[in-house]
Formats: sequence, C-alpha cells, structure tokens
Amino acid sequence: MKGIERIISIIVTAGILFGFWILLSAHFDTFHLAAGAACAIIVALLSHDLLFTRPVRGGFFTLLHFTHYCGWLFIEIWLAGLDVAYRVLHPDLPIDPQVVTFDTPFTDDIVRTVFANSMTLTPGTITIDVSGSTYTVHALTSEAARDLTEGRSIEKRVHRIFPET
Amino acid sequence: MFDPVSIVVAALIIMGLFFMIVGPIGLIRLPDLFTRAHASGKCDTLGQALILLGLIVYEGFTFDAVKLLLLIIFLYIMSPTATHAIVRAAHILKYHAWKPGEERE
Repeated sequence: MKGIERIISIIVTAGILFGFWILLSAHFDTFHLAAGAACAIIVALLSHDLLFTRPVRGGFFTLLHFTHYCGWLFIEIWLAGLDVAYRVLHPDLPIDPQVVTFDTPFTDDIVRTVFANSMTLTPGTITIDVSGSTYTVHALTSEAARDLTEGRSIEKRVHRIFPET
Repeated sequence: MFDPVSIVVAALIIMGLFFMIVGPIGLIRLPDLFTRAHASGKCDTLGQALILLGLIVYEGFTFDAVKLLLLIIFLYIMSPTATHAIVRAAHILKYHAWKPGEERE
C-alpha cells in the first residue's frame, strides 16, 4: 500500500479515531476537540496500516449482508444462552459432548476470525483450534455437531457476507 | 409509581441476573473444562449484555448510553475470544474431553 492509498487510509483512520474520541469525551470546547484531533492524527500516522491491511472492497450489499448477519447473530446469542440454561438446569443434564474437526473454504484472516467467533457465540459449539482452514470444535450436543459438518448453516451465513473468499 | 420504562429496565436486568446465575450453576454441574466453558462463555455474555441493555434503556438517548452500547459490542468480541483462548490452551495440553458414561471429575 503506497501513494494515494496510504494517504486515504491515514485520513479515514484519523476520521474514525476522531469520531471515537468525540463519542467518549462528549466535550465540545476547543481544547478537547483540538487535543482529540492531534491525538487522532498522530495515532493514524503511526498505525493506519493496522486498520486497513488491504484495500477495502465491497459496497452497499456487503453492508446490507453484514447488518443482516449481526441481527441473526443477536438472535443466535439469545438461543445459545437459553439452550445452555435449559441443559444446565435440567435434572438429567442432557448433554452429549464431542470434538469435531472439519474443513472450510475460508482463507482470509478476518473471515476466519468472524467464523470462529460466530461459532463460539451460537448454540452448542465452541471453537477449540484453527489451523489453516481446518477447525476443531467442541460441541455440547450431537445435533450441534451434525449441523457443523452437514447443515453448515453458520458457514453459509459467513460466506454470504464475504462472497469473494 | 411504576412507569413503563422502569418496568422494562427491571425486566431486562432481572433476565440478565438469571443468566448470570445459570453460568456458575453450570460451572458446578457440568463434568469437564470444555462443557464448563460453554456455560460460562454463553450465559455470561448474554447476562452481561442484558444488564447493560437495561442500563441503556434507563439512561435514555445520551452519550453515556452510546458508551454502554460500545461496551456490549466489545463484550461480544472479547467473550468468545477469551473462551477460545482458555479452551485452546486446554486442547494444546491434551486435556481429556469428557464423554457420556464416564466418571465426572
């Protein structure tokens, strides 16, 4: 990343940081705004390459899919909590834990992280290990394990917001 | 006396507390580290988010409410990552995963 891309990345990073500063400080006098702007620019100069590691692709539809995905994740987190609560409070403790290993087509770091975190948040599964695109997952029930290797509902969802991978 | 807002706030916080209590109960009842990670990882995330959501409703539309919303977002990134770190450490150390029918620890 060099030339014009580098400058855009610095400006966008500084803008995001300054917005975040205003949000957290909630003071609008000259001193606080100036201090925020100075900090945002210095930090952006030093670390803009951490936020944008590659040119950003995608547009409106990616954003739409992402919003949809966040809504779905929110519901899944609810279901996950209720599912665990039900199993924990049930007198017979209806669990059937197993460790599952399976492959995914994901290669990008961000996509792999999103997928791993989504799996930990959704009902009955926790990501144990990721090596390359192979995931090792601990499933609390056999249904959750079957969904990972056969249904692949989470994988399809993640694939929809990052269609290029 | 009881306005709708405080009823919603109380309901959210009580639901949050319910999940926060279920987490430790799971920690005691479940048989091994991996299954316990399910209980603490999921119930605590949901419980904390519900309590923070209740506080957002209580606060109304202010900067503090936005900060609380940011806390929920960071919690949802942090909690699965922390759970994953613990479970992965156990996996690397070849910790034995409990299977049905075995003696619990």
